[in-house]
Amino acid sequence: MSLEVVDLRKRFGDVQALDGVTFAVAPGEVFGFLGANGAGKTTTMRIVLGFLQPDTGTVTWAGSPAHDWPRRTWGYMPEERGLYPRMLVLDQLVFFASLYGVPRGQARRDALEWLARFRISDYADRRAETLSKGNQQKVQFIATILQDPDVLLMDEPFAGLDPVNVALLKSAFLEMRDRGKTLVFSTHQLDQAEELCDSVAIIDRGRLVTSGSTRDVKRSTGHQTIRLATSGDGDLEWLRSISSVQVTRPGRDYTELRVEAGSDPQAVLRAAIARGDDVYRFEVADPSLEEVFVERVGALDVEERTLASASLEGPA
Amino acid sequence: MRDLPNILAVARREFLSRARTRTFVLGTLFLVLGVVAIAFVPVIVSYLDRTEKTTVAVWADEPSLATSAAGTLDALLNAPTGQSVPGSPAETDFEVRAVNDLAAARAAGGRGDYSAVLAIERTAGSDLKFTLYTDDPATGRTAQLVRQATTAIAIADRLDRLGVEPADQASLFAPAEYGVEWFDPARTEPTQDEADFGTRYLLGFGMTILIFMMIILYGNWVAMSVVEEKSSRVMEVILNAARPFQLLTGKVMGVGAVAGVQYLAILAAGAVALLIQGPVRDLVLGDGGGSIELPEGLTIGLLVEFVVYGVLGFTLYAVLYAAAGSLVSRQEDVSQVVMPMALISTAGYMIAVYAGTGLLDIRSGAIVVLSQVPFLSPFLMLSRSAAGEVAPWEIVLSIVLLLVAIAISLWIAARIYAAGVLLYGQRPSLRTIWRLARTGM
Repeated sequence: MSLEVVDLRKRFGDVQALDGVTFAVAPGEVFGFLGANGAGKTTTMRIVLGFLQPDTGTVTWAGSPAHDWPRRTWGYMPEERGLYPRMLVLDQLVFFASLYGVPRGQARRDALEWLARFRISDYADRRAETLSKGNQQKVQFIATILQDPDVLLMDEPFAGLDPVNVALLKSAFLEMRDRGKTLVFSTHQLDQAEELCDSVAIIDRGRLVTSGSTRDVKRSTGHQTIRLATSGDGDLEWLRSISSVQVTRPGRDYTELRVEAGSDPQAVLRAAIARGDDVYRFEVADPSLEEVFVERVGALDVEERTLASASLEGPA
Repeated sequence: MRDLPNILAVARREFLSRARTRTFVLGTLFLVLGVVAIAFVPVIVSYLDRTEKTTVAVWADEPSLATSAAGTLDALLNAPTGQSVPGSPAETDFEVRAVNDLAAARAAGGRGDYSAVLAIERTAGSDLKFTLYTDDPATGRTAQLVRQATTAIAIADRLDRLGVEPADQASLFAPAEYGVEWFDPARTEPTQDEADFGTRYLLGFGMTILIFMMIILYGNWVAMSVVEEKSSRVMEVILNAARPFQLLTGKVMGVGAVAGVQYLAILAAGAVALLIQGPVRDLVLGDGGGSIELPEGLTIGLLVEFVVYGVLGFTLYAVLYAAAGSLVSRQEDVSQVVMPMALISTAGYMIAVYAGTGLLDIRSGAIVVLSQVPFLSPFLMLSRSAAGEVAPWEIVLSIVLLLVAIAISLWIAARIYAAGVLLYGQRPSLRTIWRLARTGM
């Protein structure tokens, strides 16, 4: 009873878009699909949904080929948001749901309920083009779930949302998970993934880099992260002298260190105390997904970083 | 058929979102009013004509001749013309007056009292000589009618002089018996006279142009609507819910229904306008003359053929318009990618018109063969049918071929559409289109 993607390969002309992508999503979990633009996230989703045929590879849900399941099994929120600009919000929600076979009356009731939850009931009888981008995105999300799908695939769902709407959407995600739905979303905002995902997969240029539970993936590098704040802040030389440790983030509030695999993080604490500094903060943690990503894939290039940080203002 | 609910849902949305727009409602209203206005042109013209009476003065150098000529002229000018076509303007009323002072009559004519003054003199050879004084064009209707009348007056005068009694003159002018038969003695159906051929040609021409317009206008709508869904990116949302085949078929049906409603409104308005024309004419003009007949050759069978070829022809072209629309991402590119369909339909339409008007021999082998070609048959078969030049089995065969062509086109179009709707950016090359059609993805 899980979503299994096995060895997907897909070539577009000269471009090998997917080169052996394999991962599994357990039912009822939130799964993050991580990668830079062009890594193959959208192509994978389109294959899972049956829009594209893979050159090789299979997709199964609960043991049966994905395309054998009724369409209403799948909820899809494409990266590029799409609504009929001149159609009334409620009308198009009912239309989308009716394509999945939801009776019009029920679709109408559910849509109104969701619109109320997202505090946009007033827009039900407005044309979609008159809504702000954030509100259009909420309508888009409602369109994705009105048929009560078992699996939700969402391509960059947080792109272009302001923090308030991100929070609203996150709570909706968690509610869908609590209802037993399986959620797969792609993102290049790794902090979002870290916060929400039970499992992740990292994909780079069509190849799967790693996948598994978020914790396992974070630990997969073998090293650990220390966050340290002492009265001797500003003087980092003594830290650099410890061979098993690297300063990854010299900061005013705290310093972040990377501890090589197999070394004892406590050595740093002991060294700090030995120096006579007061220790305000000492924290041993798994590396963040971003660190893992940087280590396994290489930094998201400059453009990607800008896009990732700019995604609060506009779509990536 | 499990596709049907989605096809209908897509068609319903397409229809409503088109038919509810102000442009559609106003456009249809405008067309309906236009058709009604055109249908009522004859009544309006005769109503306007009725208000003016044409007065013709007749002067002769013999007073008795003036009176008798005036009588003949009056009878001929105001006689109902034999070839009056249904819906043609009612006869203008002429008033004919015998006068005995030519100079005064000419002066009065100059003041506008008379449209024309006809002067009759007897020449030395004792034949009659006519002179028409008028400021109207010599080729005008009054002048023409008067000229015809003078021949009758002159002949009557000659017969008088030969001593033929007026009563016998009538039998002299009675038309002879005349008939037209087919070459083939076995053919029994009535032959076609000139007027009949004219209306048949007009019928074929009108129906062909209606189908052509439907394909060009509404086919373009289909393509535009596909591009709209692509450019608004709603395509991927509905693609998850419905199969490309359903989306494509529903769209063609929806736009087809819009076209059907518009055509029905216009044709119904035209039919009603023609039917109530008689009563309205009686009411406005106060005469009881005008019952309107349907144009000759317009049979129920031909109407059914028109509907069948219209629906099938539109469907065949529209699915290809949809596939073409799926290949581009911007509305500006639509006209370019629908070019092949526009060219083929124009060719079919032109050949049909040439064949219908006799510029091409409608019975030639080439036309008979071409009229079975699916993309051309909606135009050519109607043309041949309206001309009465087609056997029932030919119609059945062409419809079967059309249905087969629609099935094949639908299959190819759905594959191109499935892949095309996900393509953004560059317009794909012919090779890519071929690959899409072959592999579907």
